[in-house]
Amino acid sequence: MRDDTGEGKILLPAAIKRNAVINVRALLSHPMLTGLSRDQAGIPIPAYFVNDVMVTYGGEQVAHFEWTSGISRDPFVGFSLLASKEAPLTVTWKDNKGGIYTQSADVKFSAA
Amino acid sequence: MRDPLSRRSFLASLALAASALAASARAASASSLFGGPDDEPGEDVKKVLRAKFGDRPIRSGHLSLDVPDVAPDSREVPLLIESDLPMTADDYVKGIHIVVDHNPDIYLAGFDFTPAIGAATLDTRIKMRRSSPIRIIAETSKGALWTTSHFVYTTLNGCV
Repeated sequence: MRDDTGEGKILLPAAIKRNAVINVRALLSHPMLTGLSRDQAGIPIPAYFVNDVMVTYGGEQVAHFEWTSGISRDPFVGFSLLASKEAPLTVTWKDNKGGIYTQSADVKFSAA
Repeated sequence: MRDPLSRRSFLASLALAASALAASARAASASSLFGGPDDEPGEDVKKVLRAKFGDRPIRSGHLSLDVPDVAPDSREVPLLIESDLPMTADDYVKGIHIVVDHNPDIYLAGFDFTPAIGAATLDTRIKMRRSSPIRIIAETSKGALWTTSHFVYTTLNGCV
């Protein structure tokens, strides 16, 4: 088993202008097991997946995702954000075993 | 000894039959690739849609779904969803839903948005158990439902 489960990463564009719609990419290391497969000894592998993702921008919730184990391993999601202010963007992933993983990135405007 | 003429005519008719068969196969695969009978949701999918959206009409339009026709790896099928629906404070896309007809979880994921995100776009990777339509449903803050779908062929079961 890999031991980097829960390592999150947020990618923002290098240059951000005020009030531009930017692309945010969020990646988490997680096995996302469906519970439908078995190991080599034939023992079922229990389900273990992220089922809830919350996105906040300056402390305000801007998006919320509800997932099943149908999202691929090391779940990736890209979405838009209206860069209206300089504030931290935080993504919080929660899995079905109670794991909570958080990652932040600061939205900062590039000098115009 | 065989009559060369009848052999030749036999070969000609064989070639004709083969090309007719190939043409009909092409027509069949084209129809399943781009909608056609496969596009109609089954009873189990309709049940999921009814549970989620009630009896509201789901019309097609305003969404684009970029997905491969054939998934090289059914454990990671990339989806890119875009929409031209407005994203203003009083009229915005409040949710995008992914439905895969032949997956163990038919309702695969839901993404709730607020106007603060500026545009209803989505980029993610999903698993597929077998060849299936992928349906995207967008719900606006005014309650309208828009959909688009695409049939994706897979090779292996990616639901691990």
